[in-house]
Amino acid sequence: MSESKSKRSGQVTRREVLGAGLAAASCLQLGGLGHAASAAGRTVGPSKEFKTKHLVLVAFAGGVRSRETFGMPTNIPYMRAMADEGVLFNRTRTSNLGHFGAALSVFTGISEARGIRENARGPDPTLFEYLRKDGGLSQNDVWISTSGGAQQTNYSASSHRDYGQKYGANVLDGDGIFNAEFKDLLANFGKMREVPGGETDALRKMRKVLDRGKSGADPDASARVEKYILEELTRGTANINGPAAGDRKAIRVARNLIAIFKPKVTGIVLQNADTAHGDFNGYVEVIRQNDAALGELWESVKADPDLRDTTSFVILPEFGRDRDLNTRRGLDHGDGSDDLRYVTTTCWGPDFKSGVEYDTEIDTIDVAPTVTSMFGTKAAFSKGKRISKMFA
Amino acid sequence: MEPPNRAVRTSKIVGDGVTEAKPFGELTPKRIRAAFLDLLGRPPLRAERDKWAGKGLVALLDDLLGGEAFWTKWLEKQLYYFLLIDNFRPRAERVESIPADLTEGRLHVRDAIHRVVLSSSFNQRNPGADTFVTVVMEQLLGIVVQKQTRELEIGKAAYDGGSGLFLGEVVNSQSDVVGVAMGDKRFGQGLIDREYQRLIRAEQNKGERRDAIRAFEKDEFTFIDHYRKWFLSPEWEARLGRPRRTTNRDWVSSLLVDVYDRLPTPSESRRMRDALDGLSDPTPLKGLLARLVLDSQEAKLPAKEDIENVSKWIDQKFLDLLGRSSTDEEAAVFTGAFREPDCRPATILLAIVTGGEYQSQ
Repeated sequence: MSESKSKRSGQVTRREVLGAGLAAASCLQLGGLGHAASAAGRTVGPSKEFKTKHLVLVAFAGGVRSRETFGMPTNIPYMRAMADEGVLFNRTRTSNLGHFGAALSVFTGISEARGIRENARGPDPTLFEYLRKDGGLSQNDVWISTSGGAQQTNYSASSHRDYGQKYGANVLDGDGIFNAEFKDLLANFGKMREVPGGETDALRKMRKVLDRGKSGADPDASARVEKYILEELTRGTANINGPAAGDRKAIRVARNLIAIFKPKVTGIVLQNADTAHGDFNGYVEVIRQNDAALGELWESVKADPDLRDTTSFVILPEFGRDRDLNTRRGLDHGDGSDDLRYVTTTCWGPDFKSGVEYDTEIDTIDVAPTVTSMFGTKAAFSKGKRISKMFA
Repeated sequence: MEPPNRAVRTSKIVGDGVTEAKPFGELTPKRIRAAFLDLLGRPPLRAERDKWAGKGLVALLDDLLGGEAFWTKWLEKQLYYFLLIDNFRPRAERVESIPADLTEGRLHVRDAIHRVVLSSSFNQRNPGADTFVTVVMEQLLGIVVQKQTRELEIGKAAYDGGSGLFLGEVVNSQSDVVGVAMGDKRFGQGLIDREYQRLIRAEQNKGERRDAIRAFEKDEFTFIDHYRKWFLSPEWEARLGRPRRTTNRDWVSSLLVDVYDRLPTPSESRRMRDALDGLSDPTPLKGLLARLVLDSQEAKLPAKEDIENVSKWIDQKFLDLLGRSSTDEEAAVFTGAFREPDCRPATILLAIVTGGEYQSQ
């Protein structure tokens, strides 16, 4: 179906479920959502009671073209399967704001220029801050797992005076923490000693008088995170290496965070696809590896009775890449082509339609208000629009 | 704090009519600690603390400002600004030699950063014409490229071997783009602003800023003079009252200097910083690292039973680690906690080094 036709008519394309196995999975997971087609175009208001209690928002970032994903579905069998059971938006408009700014736009719902190497929080509240301040979620209810290092911790919260770090998400960069070098360093210091209860009490009293109530930090939440880090170091995440190691760690960390903390919203920000600047084949391999890792995450959610009927996924790149190869036979991002400006958004979950594809345009900044609406809050400063048509 | 030329007025009578002038900016524990952190990114070692106690800030600046340790820290800050860290940290001799060359006066800061931007690491960190030229414009000149797309396109064309007029100068290559940016007045403005804010934690007075930029454009070698002026200004003294979260790298250095009385190795510094940088709230990991360091054999803390005067020992730890004495309330709580059976000397230090004040000096 052509874009212009779909825009005019609002028609949707139904894809056949790929195979019997997937069909069975679809029926099992989506239950009563088989009426998706008849519900096409129906608007779901914010007051609707959503089945989604947990949401995984994946910035499949680093610059990923649709040509190498849904244009070549053998690269992404899991995302293809998710789309077949959910909703796929083929024309998601992006802004080329650099990786950092463009991914941040997904979380804020505002396209705003940020420096490519800027290492500071943005001015606009993120969906995590809306969810925490206006939705009353706790710090351990909102997590972001990243692979891009120090800069990406700025996704946690904005510098907005009404929101800010107090309402930020926990951000954890898997590659920075869970690596063999850091594990070795910790081992060199010696073995972690069990802390007796009396020492913990003494510590708490001393910290309280030093803090004078300024930080407002929750010592129990901090202790849980500390315990999680120690355990994660022994789980093998630190030993992941090879192509897309950073991204695969981010996804694996998210998988474990979801299993342990059962966050309401988990963001995942990938980055390794940017190897495409100088290595097209490496870039395709990153896409394949990341799809496989997301598949593992998806399977683990479906295998968890607490999560399988209440968890949704939204997956989208922050922007695409150039139409043509550069002189190094890689792919940059800066030609203004449709390959760069349009990506796909994959949505899977109990509240979404099933087996529906849209060629109508949405925008990456529409994701933030859509997610907040699913948890009963508004992204008040967002410039995006809630994507109503994705809902069953 | 008074300016240097009035410093001698601060004096005291020491006996028999002999007046002893207090040095300008007398180095109290707090000032020593802050000055070392600002100059070298770490607190003083024990021997340095003893050496400088009661002496003047001017003498400390004479000793440390512009030395190789100072420039090494300066270079690390610049590399971090460009996010040239970990695998992207330049290893080339031309970059590694920057601190020594700056110390010896063979290089000034503009050319030092020029070397960094021309390094292969910068190129790898910012691959492709769009990313490279964007980062040059943003990080060197503070330009919002979305508002100067024409310049961006000309820069990109030059990156790929084309020609054009970029920021008013003819460019034909990637290195031309860098060269033009390095010579642009906005580079000096950005550098002065960045360094002033890092040191003073506030905006610079407009007139002083203008003078500093003018002096820098006239002679880049005068850059170090600005640091001295800023350190000796009332604004630096005011900065002592404006605590700001210490960078993760400086926190790691502080922890190892304060507990082990030695500098961290480059490997320790990098691995611990990278891990802490991976968390939006590094508090839990700082707690974990501090426990490991304090419980390690190298910490060499006294046995609990060997501490005879508990309140004095605790107060000394406040002075050493926070640059101030404990308040009455703190002293009472810490002393009480120390008497609990499970509390150890390491527990006292752990409470301090994981507290907000230690992390914001």
